[in-house]
Amino acid sequence: MGLLGFFSTEEEKRAADVRKGVVAPTRAERQKCWEARDGFFACLDANNIVDPIKEDKAAAKACRQESAKFEENCAEKWVVYFKQWRVQDIQKKRRLAELEAQGGIKMDVNTDFTARK
Amino acid sequence: MLQPIAPMRALLRITLPRAPAQQCQRLLSTARNTHTRRPTPGCLSPVQSRQPLVQRRFKFKTVEEAKSRYRSGPFSWKAGGLFVLTGAGLLWYFEQEKERMHRKRIAEASKGVGRPKVGGSFDLITQDGKPFTDNDLKGRYSLVYFGFTHCPDICPEELDKMARMFDIVQAERPGVLVPVFVTCDPARDDPAILKEYLSEFHPGFIGLTGTYDQIKAMCKAYRVYFSTPTEVKPGQDYLVDHSIYFYLMDPEGDFVEALGRQHSPDQAAKIILDHMKDWKGQLKTA
Repeated sequence: MGLLGFFSTEEEKRAADVRKGVVAPTRAERQKCWEARDGFFACLDANNIVDPIKEDKAAAKACRQESAKFEENCAEKWVVYFKQWRVQDIQKKRRLAELEAQGGIKMDVNTDFTARK
Repeated sequence: MLQPIAPMRALLRITLPRAPAQQCQRLLSTARNTHTRRPTPGCLSPVQSRQPLVQRRFKFKTVEEAKSRYRSGPFSWKAGGLFVLTGAGLLWYFEQEKERMHRKRIAEASKGVGRPKVGGSFDLITQDGKPFTDNDLKGRYSLVYFGFTHCPDICPEELDKMARMFDIVQAERPGVLVPVFVTCDPARDDPAILKEYLSEFHPGFIGLTGTYDQIKAMCKAYRVYFSTPTEVKPGQDYLVDHSIYFYLMDPEGDFVEALGRQHSPDQAAKIILDHMKDWKGQLKTA
């Protein structure tokens, strides 16, 4: 039991360090953070919330679990960064859609997180 | 040309009244033997004009040959094939040359006088703590990327991409490309942290760090923008803004081309390999 307890505190300590930005996350930790982020953003999309910083009350109400998971698995700075990135990315996509509707020429620019071949 | 015609004309004058058509025919056959296929003036006499020069067309050995020629005109499968092949060959050659010249223009845009100089001398240390300067990159192509280990999304993705690019290039030209990662966050990214971070991407990556001033000089030389937030308290987390291009440098340390987010690893690797093919100077391998 003691060994298990030791491991769990060790893990917790590591997770806390990642959240605080004391250590850089590993690949696995990054992956976990990105998945939590995608889950949170999907929930925001489902509830028509664009900016989780400005609309923090609505976001907390609609996506409490997802938000908690996001904050648990990502560094605090990353949480803020991704939230800001979301707003910018949505604005960018809207603007691009507008331009395309006006007959703009689309260029090959990748803005999402999906890896390319 | 004139010499064989003169005696023929004489011959014609004698024989023409009796058998004009026959004579002319014979004359033509002799004319062909002596490589004159022009109508001789004698055959165009008023008497002759009533008999058309049908016989002139009979330069075929068999009737089949003549029929085939009549049907297809001057076109034959052999001629058509040759035409298409030559055309395709020329087209391919011109396209190749066009691409090569395009790459040459890109590669040479940063060489010579009056060009913005990207790259230059630097003095940093690797993830193993060994000194590393621009001289260690000479003789090979290098792919330089700037980032930091606490980077949330773009750097890790781009480093994965760089690993795939490097593998593709390695498979074709082993040892000719050096992949380099330079940290923009020297305050936190010491060699040990870099080593651990890069080991998750590719064992072949060279990670470089140094003092803040050394990194600043390196970024300035490569025209890389980066900004560390000011007034960071010890232990406080922060993100670093920085340019996200891969810088392809030639074996002399000159900038060749910037590869960006728009290139897939395959596309980027192809661009690198094509530049390598164009390189005429010396290359180190292994």
